[in-house]
Amino acid sequence: MVKKQLSQTEILDDSTLWNSLKEGNENAFSILFKRHYAHLVRYGNSFIPFPEKVQDCVQDVFTDIWIYKDKLSDKVVVKAYLLSCVRKRITRSQERDRIFRLSSSIDTVEFLFDFSIEHDLISDETTASKVSHLNHLINDLPSRQKEALYLRYTQELTVDQIADTLDINYQSANNLLHRALLSLRKDWKGNICCILMLVSLTF
Amino acid sequence: MQHRTNYTEIEHFLADESFRLWVHFNDDQHQWEEWTLENSNRAKLVEEARLWLLAMKAPNDTLTKDEVQNALEATWKKIERVEENKKEKPVLKLLRKRWFNGVAAVLILSLLTGWLYNQTNSDNDSALTYSELINENEEGLVEQTNNSDKPQIITLSDGSSVLLQPNSKLSYPKIFAGNERKVYLSGEGFFEISKDPKKPFFVFANEIVTKVVGTSFKIKAYANQPNVEVVVRTGKVKVRSNELISNSKDELIVLLPNQALRFVRKNLSFKKITDITQDELLINSKSNIEQLGFEFTDIPVSQIFKTIEQAYLVKIDFPQSKLKDCYLTTSLTDQPLPEKLKIICKSLENNTSYEMNGNQISIISDGCN
Repeated sequence: MVKKQLSQTEILDDSTLWNSLKEGNENAFSILFKRHYAHLVRYGNSFIPFPEKVQDCVQDVFTDIWIYKDKLSDKVVVKAYLLSCVRKRITRSQERDRIFRLSSSIDTVEFLFDFSIEHDLISDETTASKVSHLNHLINDLPSRQKEALYLRYTQELTVDQIADTLDINYQSANNLLHRALLSLRKDWKGNICCILMLVSLTF
Repeated sequence: MQHRTNYTEIEHFLADESFRLWVHFNDDQHQWEEWTLENSNRAKLVEEARLWLLAMKAPNDTLTKDEVQNALEATWKKIERVEENKKEKPVLKLLRKRWFNGVAAVLILSLLTGWLYNQTNSDNDSALTYSELINENEEGLVEQTNNSDKPQIITLSDGSSVLLQPNSKLSYPKIFAGNERKVYLSGEGFFEISKDPKKPFFVFANEIVTKVVGTSFKIKAYANQPNVEVVVRTGKVKVRSNELISNSKDELIVLLPNQALRFVRKNLSFKKITDITQDELLINSKSNIEQLGFEFTDIPVSQIFKTIEQAYLVKIDFPQSKLKDCYLTTSLTDQPLPEKLKIICKSLENNTSYEMNGNQISIISDGCN
């Protein structure tokens, strides 16, 4: 007999839970919800400055998942699927919202999120100034590129999944990432010698 | 570590989970350090990748465990609501088919049994009164009675407005707390409800409960008249009988614009009127607000104010000379009175604002652009 114990949340991966959810397991739904809710809200908050509305959208995404559980595909990467649903939902709610109709269309939902600095992991001044400079460069990137970086390195999606989330093809997603890194590297390389000189002068 | 000797770009490292764990949590520190120092080019690359990671911190998730738990519960409630709505629909369809296709036998039979049933019960059943309903509600309610001979405008805390007819009463909480907005009506009122799908609006009027999310409609529920009526102007309205009436079945009826519902007290039955223009009783009882249009195309603002004055029986003071050349194109149908005024003020700009004091409204403006 195969025993399925959903209480042992740690060992169950997303796709196992996903499949139990599809079969109507409420516990699996709750575990997936708890696992992903906070980061989905964070992702949503980077598009619009209305935290309550974002939470509402994320809850609606989960509501739909349960209501239409019979129709869900079993070959999804849960996290990428959820991120993409949240993004679409927020974009759509923006379109519906009359206040925003004039100013926004589907493509202009901007990723307003700023990366910060891991201050706790930096002990010396040289590193600190380099990192802070790099951080500025990253945050000055076009919002689409920044979002691609976020999905790739914070959410750990593959390029394929990023393409799905942003609703673009694989090549475009790849380009986004590539361009982001390329322009960063160029700007950074150009400036880093000066910074190093400045820092060494002050000591 | 072996496959990592092929890493030539920063992104190779960024995408490597083990690398990230090392930078953030010193996992496998020994191995990484040793490997890095094997080769000076590699060391440079690793150091750069490390700086990149340090510069790309994502803010921590700010929600507490409790907040996530609450959100989960809220979601289950949403699911419940959606599932209820789904169940509701087929029943309604069936109901409509019966009405329109006239499956006569079924109808007559059900009416007959309903009538017989009501006959046997009607003795011990008395009409549900306003005061009984009020007593059901424990929250502190404000009561407004219109003893004058003209309709009175009431503004609720959510921005909705109610035009209360003479000899009518409305009870409502000072502030709508919780997930529902509930008011109690005796007599007649025209409701314009501000939209808030998260907080449905309920009007308890004697035997019937009317539920909306944002729309305009009229309810007529005088204690001493044989019928209770709901007439819809815009949006969608759901009506059911109050569950406090013991022997009425759980019927829910959806009304669309220009439809109406009549609840006949004598036998506790609903009658849906799909075209109000065909119903003489209803045509004759239309008030100003139901007849006036609120679609304005290039209309002098003074004219718009006049329309509002007629509809709500209010008095509007405004700087006539300053606003004499102001024309507006706007749609104010379906908006509660405060919302109408707000939209007009916003369109006029130039520090235009309004003050409302009972039936008296003052517009403060420096003219329009």
